[in-house]
Amino acid sequence: MLTPIFLSIIGCLSVESDTILLSRNLDEVVISSIGTGKKRSAKGQVASIDEHLRELSHVELIRRGSYAWEPVVNNMQTERLSVTIDGMKIFYACTDKMDPVTSYVESGNLQSINLNSGLAGNPQSTGNIGGSLDLRLRRAGFAGHPWRTNISVGHEFNGHLQVYGADASVSTTKAYTNFGAFVRHAENYKIGGGDELEFSQFQKVNAFSNFGFRLSENQVIEGTVIYDCATDVGYPALAMDVAKAEAIIASLSYRHTYVDKFINAWETKVYANRLIHNMDDTKRPEVLIHMDMPGSSKTVGLYSLLSATTERHTLRFNYDVYYNRLFADMTMYPDEAAPMYMVTWPDVGSLCSGVAFDDDIQLLHNLSVGISGKVAAQHQRLNNDEGYNAQKVFFPHMQNNYSQLTGRVAAHLAWFASDWQINLGGGWGSRAPSVTEAYGYYLNNTFDRFDYIGNPHLHNESAIEANASGAFHHGALTLNADANAFFFSNYIIGREETRLSAMTIGAAGVKVYRNLANARIVNTSLTAQYDIMQSLSLRAKLSYGLGRDDDGDPLPLIAPMEYSTTLAYVRSHFKAQLTALGAAKQVNYAPKYAESQTPAYHIINLNTEYTKALGKHSITLIVGIENLLDRNYSTYSDWNNIPQKGRNLYANVNWTW
Amino acid sequence: MKKLFTALMMSAALLSACNENDDIIDDGFTSEITIDGDVDCCSADEARIVYNFLKNVKEVPELADTIDGTYRLHAYTSTGKLQTGFNYIYFVVTKLKNANYVKDITIENFVPLMTMNMGEKTMKHSTPIGGNASVIDGAPAALKRAWVSFMMPSDGEDKWAFSYDLNILSKGAETYEKEITVNPFADGQVWLKTFKANDNVYVLSLVEPNKWQTGTNEIKAYVSVKSSPMTNPYQLANEQFVIEQVPTMPDMGNHSSPDNTALTLQGDGSYVGSINLTMTGLWRIHLTIRDAATNEIVAGGDEESDGFSSLFWDVTI
Repeated sequence: MLTPIFLSIIGCLSVESDTILLSRNLDEVVISSIGTGKKRSAKGQVASIDEHLRELSHVELIRRGSYAWEPVVNNMQTERLSVTIDGMKIFYACTDKMDPVTSYVESGNLQSINLNSGLAGNPQSTGNIGGSLDLRLRRAGFAGHPWRTNISVGHEFNGHLQVYGADASVSTTKAYTNFGAFVRHAENYKIGGGDELEFSQFQKVNAFSNFGFRLSENQVIEGTVIYDCATDVGYPALAMDVAKAEAIIASLSYRHTYVDKFINAWETKVYANRLIHNMDDTKRPEVLIHMDMPGSSKTVGLYSLLSATTERHTLRFNYDVYYNRLFADMTMYPDEAAPMYMVTWPDVGSLCSGVAFDDDIQLLHNLSVGISGKVAAQHQRLNNDEGYNAQKVFFPHMQNNYSQLTGRVAAHLAWFASDWQINLGGGWGSRAPSVTEAYGYYLNNTFDRFDYIGNPHLHNESAIEANASGAFHHGALTLNADANAFFFSNYIIGREETRLSAMTIGAAGVKVYRNLANARIVNTSLTAQYDIMQSLSLRAKLSYGLGRDDDGDPLPLIAPMEYSTTLAYVRSHFKAQLTALGAAKQVNYAPKYAESQTPAYHIINLNTEYTKALGKHSITLIVGIENLLDRNYSTYSDWNNIPQKGRNLYANVNWTW
Repeated sequence: MKKLFTALMMSAALLSACNENDDIIDDGFTSEITIDGDVDCCSADEARIVYNFLKNVKEVPELADTIDGTYRLHAYTSTGKLQTGFNYIYFVVTKLKNANYVKDITIENFVPLMTMNMGEKTMKHSTPIGGNASVIDGAPAALKRAWVSFMMPSDGEDKWAFSYDLNILSKGAETYEKEITVNPFADGQVWLKTFKANDNVYVLSLVEPNKWQTGTNEIKAYVSVKSSPMTNPYQLANEQFVIEQVPTMPDMGNHSSPDNTALTLQGDGSYVGSINLTMTGLWRIHLTIRDAATNEIVAGGDEESDGFSSLFWDVTI
């Protein structure tokens, strides 16, 4: 996790060039046991998506339980990020953000997760002020191994987490398919000191299939189907759990490749996905009023991506369009009176269409420039009249449809000498308010205990980004410094409206989303690696972030000073690493936004990995201990400061043949 | 910028498709009513308006009557029953031979009368009414509407009687009297309250909130005054009030809604305001009655019910 930024060219670009080194603010974590890449979770392929995400620079995770953590990039949450699955748009279905879209895939589905930090997003991303994550599906590909089978089994003693995965791939020059299934089951985990954390259990199953057919030398059809279903998911930080969170994700693409031409490839993909999310409070001991809170998200879309190269340019043009429907409602059942019903997301249909372009230009052998941009138009309609009429109580002049135009431009420059690399970048981008921010209705936020009402009159939020990084490499020493800053206009956040009365029993009041004239977020990190000897290295990382609202007061959920130090030993088939990590006391917490201060913590993790090849067979055994000293701690991003896992011994084995 | 937006949206229109459903539904009118040119009855157009209106209400069987072997009186309410609190009652008279509506009827001098059997003696009282039956805006004179606000339900020996004068085609009024059943409030519905002021007893009748929905609704009420003697129907009060309201949900910690407007007196004698209901369920509408001239509180506004006025209506939507 302490390696310098891993440099990668997005998969669909088959540019054979060694000169595109530091192109964008790209980062990648490799998930599959097959394939190469420097960043991997210490737990290997069986690690959860959330654990894989944790490896990425700029990424933090908001944790409401053991499952479905919410990725945060550059100290910005879901609203300011784009998350796509192989370029497909997908939107979460829970009004309480219990199901970030990263929770609807499994490690077995993915080859890697790519992060574009900041405004230089991947072509399909819109509204990505903080960054864009693209979950790259694992495809067997043509002319690969004729038959390959992979089985992985993992167990974590704390919480009795069991992981079982199996997949297989068949590949010829004309066709391929890979398919598999993944099961996870966890009981309540124990926090440091040994107490059990109630409602921290979960269970999920996942099945997937990818396939491809080569129609001719230059024409390929590929498809994907993923089914994912989590049940009985506890959320110890929240008042409710989840009975079921289900996703069906499907896509079909056609790709034409060109030889000896300006254009390399032209890929067009159609896709559809449907998420269903049902909350559940029936297992909680003290429920003031029982309620049902289902939500659904349906998306269909298309993108068409053209890739081209010249001697100096690497170009991509993308057109994408999608239509998403979000509906959620809530029914409360008082003991002796009629049920109370409200629509919390008024069946919002969002039709969004955009054109994107980016170009990497090799100016000199050691100097490159990149530019990217996108403009997108969105039209939204509130299809549920009951929800629309309800929100009209608060906004009598609102309409049932709105249009927004958003865009982004970003540019960067990369220069390197023998020992040095310097990157400078900047950009401007805007985003439309999210459905929750514009039309959400009495959504209770357990972080500040306020009910939130969306504001249909919000302006688009925009930000100017500036970033810089420098790397120094000399002999056994590598140093890297990285900083970025985002200066917002019309920053969207909830502010209390004292004349409104809270709906949720026990809520502190009502907040309505507002545009703040300005806000700013700054992120910095320093990393260092020193190779003590060939098989032994020491890595260290220090990061710090700041967020300020228009009054200069701290924004909530900004990471405090964090560090980690790893001593890694690698020798032929054996790897071991000892990591000490932690955070300083959260100094710049946000009492104005009801954030409580998180104390400092320090923990130690130990991990060992052994790989053995026997003919065609390859076996990897991973054993490790997290939180070796059994500390009871929570991080700033643990919702309501729920404690993290105590000492956790884990072991997993991955067998491929 | 706008052109770009349009271009992007038009390309996006590929994804959206519309389905128009133009089915025509037979309203059943022609099979039930014979339009035979009878001058006493409605034209086809008028009859259709009345017929379609009555499809949305239900007949109250105990108020129906056959008259002179030629006509039949029909009365309707929203539920097909009479209930405690405010009731709109709709009247038509049909000819038996063609089932068509008689062109013009008048129904006057309503007298609802409760006889309470209290052991050795009986007590009688009337209840608020809205004057004579009148034409609804835009509807033919064949259809008449009146309202009665029953102060209590029928119960065992406590019985309601209902009398009125019916005049068909101006041929002369005749008085009819019926014993009727008034049902109690349904659970979570209390649409009638009384208060005392100026040595009078006033009755606050909330006009049927059956069509209320989540969102902004018109709230309408009448203020009647108890008669002397109390066997006479209670007429609208001459005093003018302002009725302030705070809707809350008692099952949700008395969660309220913003921007509700007070009910004020209208030209037709009703009080009208607007009420915002943020979800379905039981709403308790707490009332503060002020004298319109002096602005002094004459009733309610005591904040004795969980910090809200103890004078309230209940409505479950």
